[in-house]
This record gives sequence, C-alpha cells and structure tokens, in this order.
Amino acid sequence: METSKLTKWIREYGWRHLVGIFFVVFSMYPILYVITNSFADFANLQNSKLIPDALTFKHYRSLYEDSLVPYFRWLFNTYKIASIAGLFNVLLGTLAGYAFARLKFRGRRVGLITLVLIQMFPAFLAFVAIYLLFFQISDVAPFMGLGTHFGLICVYLGGSIGFNSWLIKGFMDTIPTSLDEAAKVDGANDSQIFFRIVAPLARPIIVVLFVITFIGIYSDYILAAVFLKDPNLYTVALGINVVFMDDFSNEWGSIAAASVIAATPIAVLFLFFQKQITGGLTAGSIKG
Amino acid sequence: MYMKVSMIIRYVLLGIFNALMFYIVPLAISYESWFLLLIVGIITFLINITYLTNRLKPLKWITPGFIFLLAFVVFPAGFNFYVSFTNWQTGHILTKTQVIERLEDLTFSTEEQRGVEFDLYVMQDSDLDYYFLADLDKNNLLFGKAITSDEFNNVNYANHEPSFKDSNNNIVIPESLYLLSGKEQIANSSQLQDLSLLVDKNTRINLYNISVFGASSGRIFSSQQKYSYDDDTDILYDNTQNVACTLGDRGNFICGGESVDPGWRITVGSENYQRIIDDERFRGPLNTVATWTFQFAFFSVVLAFFVGLFLAVTLNNEKVRFQKVYRSIYIIPYAIPGFISILVFRGLLNPDFGLVNDWLDPIYQLLNIEPIRWFRTEASSKAAVLLVNTWLGFPYMFLIVTGALQSIPTELIEASKVDGATPRQSFWRITFPLLLVSISPLLIGAFAYNFNNFTLIFLLTGGGPPLVGADVSVGYTDILISFTYNLAVSGGRGVQFGLAAAVTTIIFFLVLIISAISFRYSKRLERIYGNI
Repeated sequence: METSKLTKWIREYGWRHLVGIFFVVFSMYPILYVITNSFADFANLQNSKLIPDALTFKHYRSLYEDSLVPYFRWLFNTYKIASIAGLFNVLLGTLAGYAFARLKFRGRRVGLITLVLIQMFPAFLAFVAIYLLFFQISDVAPFMGLGTHFGLICVYLGGSIGFNSWLIKGFMDTIPTSLDEAAKVDGANDSQIFFRIVAPLARPIIVVLFVITFIGIYSDYILAAVFLKDPNLYTVALGINVVFMDDFSNEWGSIAAASVIAATPIAVLFLFFQKQITGGLTAGSIKG
Repeated sequence: MYMKVSMIIRYVLLGIFNALMFYIVPLAISYESWFLLLIVGIITFLINITYLTNRLKPLKWITPGFIFLLAFVVFPAGFNFYVSFTNWQTGHILTKTQVIERLEDLTFSTEEQRGVEFDLYVMQDSDLDYYFLADLDKNNLLFGKAITSDEFNNVNYANHEPSFKDSNNNIVIPESLYLLSGKEQIANSSQLQDLSLLVDKNTRINLYNISVFGASSGRIFSSQQKYSYDDDTDILYDNTQNVACTLGDRGNFICGGESVDPGWRITVGSENYQRIIDDERFRGPLNTVATWTFQFAFFSVVLAFFVGLFLAVTLNNEKVRFQKVYRSIYIIPYAIPGFISILVFRGLLNPDFGLVNDWLDPIYQLLNIEPIRWFRTEASSKAAVLLVNTWLGFPYMFLIVTGALQSIPTELIEASKVDGATPRQSFWRITFPLLLVSISPLLIGAFAYNFNNFTLIFLLTGGGPPLVGADVSVGYTDILISFTYNLAVSGGRGVQFGLAAAVTTIIFFLVLIISAISFRYSKRLERIYGNI
C-alpha cells in the first residue's frame, strides 16, 4: 500500500522535481563556476574546476593592483555613462510623456505613432552612419566627437527616449485627470501640475524605466566599441572583452573576478525590480 | 516677478545655445559636413520656434527629448541611406577639397642638386638651440636657426650674413654663439640629423657629413610641390611628369593614366546594391550569412520557447512544492549582463581546457570519438551559439509562459475534460493554441531581437570559424549585423562604409517586414482571442 503511494507520487510529481532540479543545475552551474573560480588559487583555465582546493582574494587584488589594466576606471566610466544617460533619458521622456498624456494638440496621435515606429528599429543598426556622423562632429565640436563619453551619452539618449516617452505616457493615462482639474481650479499652471501632481505620481514607472535603461546601457557592446578607442575610456563590457581576450586561458582568474564585480550589482538591481521589469510592460525589449 | 526671472533664464539659455550653433555653422561649412549642417539647422530652428513663441506649448515639453531622437536615431538612419549610395571607403574617405589640400602639400625632390656639398658650421646659443652657418659660395653665407620638420611652418628663413667672415675669408662667430667641434657634433649627431636650415619654402640645408678635423659638410635638399591645382579650370597638374591630370569617374584624379591616391567620396548610385546582388564573390558569403541569420534567430526562439514551455508546464501544478524557489533560481541567468555570461561560456566550452569537454569525456570514450573542437568547426560553433542563447533566453520564456498559463481560464480545460479529452489532447488542442495567441507578439519580438544579436555572436565566436575563400572577412556564425560590423570597422581589406551601409539598409527593411508581420499577426490573433 505504502509503496504504491510512493510510486504514484513519483509518477505524478517526482519527475517534475527531477526536471526542475536538472534545470536548476543547468542555470546555476556557469554562475557558481565563475564565482568559485574568482576566489580560486588557480589562475588559468587549464586547471580550473568548479570547487577549487583553496580560496584566495588574489585575483581581486590583482585587478586592483595591475596598472596595465584600468579595470576600476572602466567600471567607473560605465556607471557614469549609464547613470547620466539613464537620468536624462527618463527626465526628457517624462516631459514628453506628460505632453502626450495631458495636453491636447493637433498631431498628437501622429506624433505618438511616429515615436513607436521609430523605436521599432534598434538605434545601433545605423552604427555606420553614427560613426561617420561623429567622425565629422570630431572636427567641428571635438568635446563630443568620436572617442568621447559625451558623444556616446548623446547616442544612448536618442536610442530609447521615444520608447520611454511612450511608456510614461501610458502610465500617466492611468492617473485620474480629476486631480489636475482640481488643481487647475485652484489656479495651477501646466508646470505646477506636472511637478506637483503628475510627475510624483508617475514615480514608479520612472524608477523602473531608469533601471531598465541603465541596465541596457551597462550591457551595450556595439556602440561602445564603435565609439571608444582609448582603453582608459572603455566601458567595462568593452574593457573585459578587448583587453583580456589576448590571453584568455591564462587570464582566467582575473576574468572571473572582473565578471563577478561587473555582474553582481546589475543582477541584484534586476532581481529587485524583477516583477516590474518582466511585468509585460517592456516585453522582449531589454537585455543587451 | 517669478515669470520674469524664468523668462530671463530662458532667453539666456537660448542665447547660449544659438551662440554655440552659430559657432558650429562656419566650421561645418569649412569641413563640408553638409549633413551635420542640416541637422544643426533643423535643431536650431526647432528650439527657437519652440521657446521664442508662446503658441506651441506642447512642443516645449516634447522638443528636448525629440531633438536627441531626431539627431541620433532618425538622422543617422537617413544618413545611412545616403552613405549606401556612395563609395565612402578606404581611399575615398575625404571630400574633394580635402583631397586637393592634401595633394598640394605633397612635395618631391629633384635629383640634380643632390651632389652639391659645402662647408657647414654648427653652433649653439646660451639656450642650447642649434644654429647652422652654410658657406655656399662667395655671395651666399647663410645663417639661421636649425629646426626640426615640426617647426617648418613658423620660423624665419635663413639670412645671408657676410659679417660672419673676416677679410681673410676666415669664419668669425659672435661671442653669443659657441662653435661645436667635430667630436661634439658626433656626440649630438642623432639630434643634429633631424635639423635643417630653411632657405625658402621648398629648399632646406641639412648636415650631411661630420668631419672631426676640418669643417663638416652640408647639402641642399630642394623639394617642389608635387601637384598644383587650378580652381577655375578644375585641373590638377602633376609637376613630376609635367602633365595635366584628368578627373576619373570614381572620385580620383588620373595623372598619366594612373589614378592618384587618396581619392574622394562620390555618390555612385546603386553600385553597392548591385555588388550585393551581382558580385558572385560577395553574394555567396552574404547568402550564407543571411541564411544563418534567419536560422539562428528562429532556432534561438524555438529552443528557448520550448525549454521554457516544458519547464512551465512541468512546474505549473498546485501540488508541486517549492515552485517559488524554482522560479527565483531560473530567473538568475536573465539577471546577469549578457556580455558576462557569454564570457563564462567561452571558458566552459574552451576546446582544450573547458569543463564541458571534461564532462563529455566518458561519452567520447564510450562512443570512441574525438572530443568536440568547440568554436573550431562550423557545426560545433553553431551548436555553441544556440546552446548559450538557450541558456540566456529560456528564463524569459519560462516567465512569460508561466504568466500566460495562469491567465488561461480553467473552465475551458474543465469543459474539455467533461467532453472526454485526455490531458494531452486538452493541452495541445486548447491550452497551447491559447498560449500562442497571447505570447506570439513576444515571440516575434524575441525573433527580431535575436536577428540583430550582435553581442552574442561577436563575443562568443567572433563570427568564426572563418569562411575560407570569401572576398570579405566573414565566418560561419556571422549574422548580418556582425558581418556589417566587420565590413565597416575591422575588415582586413580596409573599411567599406558604403557597402556596409547598403547591407544595413537591407537589414532595416527586414526588420520593417518582421515588425509589420508582428503587428498584423497580433491583431488577427486578438480577434480570434476575442471570439472565444
């Protein structure tokens, strides 16, 4: 009697757990592997294994001490670029979103549709033209030409502002207009309504879009590769992949440590906002 | 008062902006950056009509973001289209004016003066700067500061200084200068070698031979402008051969039957597109790449979708415990930045030291086969790309399928059970079609995303292994966008912006088609869904 119950459980649910556990191993193995290897006593790929014999911090220390590899500079560059571009992205997106959500004007519908159509094409597709354009800008305004962070930030800004305006507009539509009307009766003008009522209420979407934009820029490779030539100005994605690649197998320990440092904050941020990010509102459009 | 302050701020900012733009305009004209000029003009106009008048209120909110969209998304797309009709590539990077400037800077030396030698004295002043005194002949005793070629543009030419000789024809130098002996000259020879005394624009005197006993000797080097250009007739003269050069039809001057480098960029009509269609050596690789791009995007979505679906269906059962634990673990691959995960997989799959081959070793032994040489053969590279992309993509699919499954009304399943359907039948006939209805737009989105998944291909395989015998640098796992990147940025045979822009334009249209299908498909499905 007991055994048949067990067989029944296995047939009904046990295999489900087997499948579940198999995929736990599948998804976690590479992640655990890079974490343990970043603390491992071995430095090259040849000796690497999942569980090292001894743990050290030497790979982290060497990242810090190696003057030839400005790793923390790359990290700083990336945080700088992604946060400035992300911030202005949501700021300008919120302004535009407000106009589309609250102001009545001719061409509003056409404008919205154009915005969505434009953003269907990933901005990086025109990377040849972006390169040539900034090549010319380098002559005219060197402070934002090729190889500068300023220019790269401008490109990132253009890349997702339409999409963000659209989503912010959608969220603002759900904020009841009765609030603004009450304020209007009290004599508030458009900018007061925006700063005092609509923008504060739209904060959840603004925060989520900032996080999404930030992660997207953090993970970008192609535009940074087209733009940045000076290793000191690299972003972390570019730096790790350009500089360590020459001696991949022997640099394995440093690569693992660099990967853990670069990935952890982003993974934490992502998991924290996971529900909102995957909540369908941005389906399929993030992840770079 | 409040309004006034804000108005002042607004006009000050507007003034600064306009000043900057007016500073850029002449520069853009001088560099012949017409497209840049166009965008600067449009933005300046837009900002001014937005903030100078009070009529266009909504624009005040929209313009700041819109100019970035315009300048860095819309405009590059148009510019890209234009570039695809030019021969903008290595050897044709500059404009015609820039090419002429560069050609006019070129010089050549005439042979006959090479033999003439004369006495040359080397001196130093108290600042340790060098001076040359060249005793050419009775009438020419040239003196001046000796300079390196970097300083040629901003220094005076040598003067005739008869005062350096006394009546007996002996050299006398003033107190302020020190005459270097032959030994001292040898000690500083590496520095002295680079110095010249400029006689005029095209003639200079260099130290030729250092002598320890007598005076050192110098030689005259004369150079002439190699090409001169006549603006009015648009003719370039080649002074070495004494011929007038004709204009070639590829954006080159042709002198004596040979085209001169560099050339300039010109519009070449549909030539780049024709090359894509007609040129066998280019079309072959492009076909391979395009086919693989579609296969890669399709199989990436299908694999990730079915893994996600299988997992979601397996775990989507109220009586399965630890569902939350499973879910929070499966999402972790999705949270790691792609460029990091790809790097880790490069290590795991490494054909020589990677762990994957270690695990597979028993299987290799059992079947008595060679270990897989990951990334070194076509099949293994493609398999690696798809494997890694499945790892990267299945969490997303798992999440959306789980969400969709939970939103399917249970009455439908119950009803089918009552009608006598087996669980399998009710899944494939009811659940699965409904699932597809709700997530197919997302699947098409994922397809479009992978269609241009540059990061994965470029960082995992670099497009390799290389496709041998192709006219361009291309590999078996290259997709269209990484192929284009090679053409434009890192191709082995120079950069080919025009051709790369043409391929990008084609990708634009493919994305357009995919998006159009997505729109129509999701509308049709909504109708079906609405009828249930």
